[in-house]
Amino acid sequence: MKIKKGFVLRTVCGENVIVGEGLDAINFGRMLSLNETAAWLWKQAQQQGDFTAQSLTDALCSEYEVTPEQALTDVKETMDNWSKLGVIE
Amino acid sequence: MTYYTVAEHLFGVKSDENMTSLMANYRPFFTDDVTGAEELFTLTVLQGGPISYTEEWRQEDEGQETICGHTGQDEPLFEFRWAGCTAGWLVCTPGYRNGTLYLSGFQTKAALDNALMIMFAMASACTGTVLFHAAAVSLDGHGYMFLGKSGTGKSTHARLWLEHIPGTELMNDDNPAVRIKDGTAVVYGTPWSGKTPCYRNVSAPLGGIVLLSQAPYNRIVPLTGIGAYAAIVPSISGKRWDPKIADGLHDTEDKIAGTVTVWHLDCLPDADAAHLCKDTIAL
Repeated sequence: MKIKKGFVLRTVCGENVIVGEGLDAINFGRMLSLNETAAWLWKQAQQQGDFTAQSLTDALCSEYEVTPEQALTDVKETMDNWSKLGVIE
Repeated sequence: MTYYTVAEHLFGVKSDENMTSLMANYRPFFTDDVTGAEELFTLTVLQGGPISYTEEWRQEDEGQETICGHTGQDEPLFEFRWAGCTAGWLVCTPGYRNGTLYLSGFQTKAALDNALMIMFAMASACTGTVLFHAAAVSLDGHGYMFLGKSGTGKSTHARLWLEHIPGTELMNDDNPAVRIKDGTAVVYGTPWSGKTPCYRNVSAPLGGIVLLSQAPYNRIVPLTGIGAYAAIVPSISGKRWDPKIADGLHDTEDKIAGTVTVWHLDCLPDADAAHLCKDTIAL
């Protein structure tokens, strides 16, 4: 998967949100609020460029004290949400 | 070169004398002593065009179309059209320090105003300044701005304050500027005020922002955090697909959302709406 062009992570009044700013994203017309973990995963996804549920899970496990099973569940849930909203492809 | 100051930003316009008669709305902002001051941008106005370019994006509003693109030399370009006819092409240097407006001869005044608004918005985006699409009034030393989609009744609500709340003055009816000065948001009148000739060189600390929606009743609720940010962003013009501009606008929008009280007013176009709004938000 990849983050769709034009979507960026912003800090708004201390909270993490995804907004559409690029030409391909300008009509997104809403903001997606992320919790700490989701924001961390977004930054990972950005760094990796081309990412999978497994590659994000590996990154999450190497950074945080979490079981691989729990990490994979969280990552899949987050990625499902992003797919539904169309911010990754 | 003739100089003007808007929201404490100096800019220069170079044009032939015929243009001066079209620039009455800029007169209150005229500045003759510019020694030592650095201009935010300069605009040179010429007759000419067409200019060829690659289109990036277009926006249509009430028969007026703005097409954004770039020239072969990668200079940002804006074409202004009314009813399908081109009024002019604005070619900017990267960074928006200098612009050249090529006029077709059709809708000269509107093209000039649009070009100056765009230059102002772009060149000031990274200086804590934003141009709002809003109506702004002042009362007891503070400014208040009313936002909303076209046709929601921004001007109507401002007029209701003028009619029913003694001491209220109109600062601007369409495009006030907001600038963060020492951590405080300040609202300024500008030479751009839509259909209302209200070109006042005035400013006031911003006391509140109200997003309007039409409703069969009057009700006002506060917005905070992301809600406040989401309410103001759609009312700020800018070219957000340019990452530098987007960063600059975001910084200012985040500061405004964090320091100014933002409200959502569901309202009728009546005196009660103005009273409810004023009684709730006025400092």
